[in-house]
Amino acid sequence: MYGADVEQIAIQLNEDPQKLADFEARIARGEKIEPGDWMPAEYRRQLIRMISQHAHSEVVGMLPEGAWITKAPSLRRKLILLAKVQDEAGHGQYLYHAAETLGATREEMLDALLDGKAKYSSIFNYHTTTWADNGAIGWLVDGAAILNQTMLARCSYGPYSRAMVRICMEENFHRKQGQEMIILYSQGTPTQRAMVQDAITRWWWPTLMMFGPHDADSPNSGVLIRWGIKTRTNDELRQEFINQLVPDLQACGIVLPDPDLHYDEASGNWRTGPIDWDEFWAVLKGNGPANAERMAARRQAHADGQWVREAAAAYAAKNQMQVN
Amino acid sequence: MDTQWPRFMVFQQEGPDQPVVHNGTVHAPDAELAMLNARDVFVRRPEAVALWVVPADAIFTQTQEELAQAAETQLAAGPLASYYVFGKFSQQAQCRQVGQVQASSPLAAVHAAIATFADKQPLWWWVFPASAVLKNESTEAEPMFSAARYKTFKDQAEYPVVTMMRALRNQKANHKDTENTK
Repeated sequence: MYGADVEQIAIQLNEDPQKLADFEARIARGEKIEPGDWMPAEYRRQLIRMISQHAHSEVVGMLPEGAWITKAPSLRRKLILLAKVQDEAGHGQYLYHAAETLGATREEMLDALLDGKAKYSSIFNYHTTTWADNGAIGWLVDGAAILNQTMLARCSYGPYSRAMVRICMEENFHRKQGQEMIILYSQGTPTQRAMVQDAITRWWWPTLMMFGPHDADSPNSGVLIRWGIKTRTNDELRQEFINQLVPDLQACGIVLPDPDLHYDEASGNWRTGPIDWDEFWAVLKGNGPANAERMAARRQAHADGQWVREAAAAYAAKNQMQVN
Repeated sequence: MDTQWPRFMVFQQEGPDQPVVHNGTVHAPDAELAMLNARDVFVRRPEAVALWVVPADAIFTQTQEELAQAAETQLAAGPLASYYVFGKFSQQAQCRQVGQVQASSPLAAVHAAIATFADKQPLWWWVFPASAVLKNESTEAEPMFSAARYKTFKDQAEYPVVTMMRALRNQKANHKDTENTK
């Protein structure tokens, strides 16, 4: 038995209504969908789209901070940054694996990124101009990512949800080291305070855009929520982030770059002024401050790794010959 | 353009009394390099005494559903070999080690597992020949995994940001009080 809405969606998606109803019942019972299980083609397509974009974001996300490893102000900060960038590489690997369980190949995903066809989080197309940007990225950008990832850790697809549990644990280290840095500098010398203020001023709005378009303009949200891939909307997550961050940043003496920002007593929410969605779409379409630079760095890294891949393959082939 | 290397399944044992648990895959040209990749990808935190890599295509899986639907098939009678048996026991869980059986084919190994571990009711069975596994020697565990133990800065508990925020707010409140009494 299944409802009229299931029948309608089954017709739209050209799926067997009984199978679709069984699939939706499994999700409603809180079961995880696993790689071998029946799933609608659209569920598979949406997951591959989301997970591969997420993987690319982790990989490209190494670049803005990676550039600062050699310029870290202390050995402790250098070790932290090295570990953090290494974590991002690992997160990319967990996520490519999760996408592979759906039938996408590692090769086609990497090619799509290198060819510039794949999307990744627009936040990484901004420049990191001072050391304090590493703190802002940790507290703001990773903090925003954690909210999204905590939701995805409960998602209906088993391999994605398990990858997220692991990633969230590691991202908490990323967020907290950034927050620690910002708190300390905000109470530091006038130069440090100015550097932190400048970093937050530049990263605040792009971070709010990370949650994606407003719910009314988010075309994929309906089906993602219906099938338990997302359980909260872009605007809900963004509002929670704003409510968490505004009081803490203000306590640090930092002024947010938003004259309309105010506390709404009635709802208990902090309200921001309008987000500049023209900027968001421009960055997403490739016209952000650092899009070309990021892609060039990624291609260069891949080309520079060519000899390592060749050497590894030659080594494996030599060992194979000795066995035979 | 590169071609894609084979996939290896990665399993990790977090402590001497813990089961070996599946945690993902890596690509590598051979098992030795798969082991090195697996260590970098999955053991950046100190929770391992053993790491296994197994070629993905050596793993045979059967869900309870598939077992129920499968017709009685003639089990191929090859030479007996040792198979590792893994099971996935809950929706959120990873596949974990159940034990070992002797069998003449992967399907026979699943049947042997059902007979041997009758008290276990996993959602899935995974079996693979013991000969397909590369694992670290126990003497290698220390050099492979101990370095991460001293990298305490990777632990989020090292950053007392909640306490720091509270101190900052108290300091401001005290400052305000002093201002008011002036």
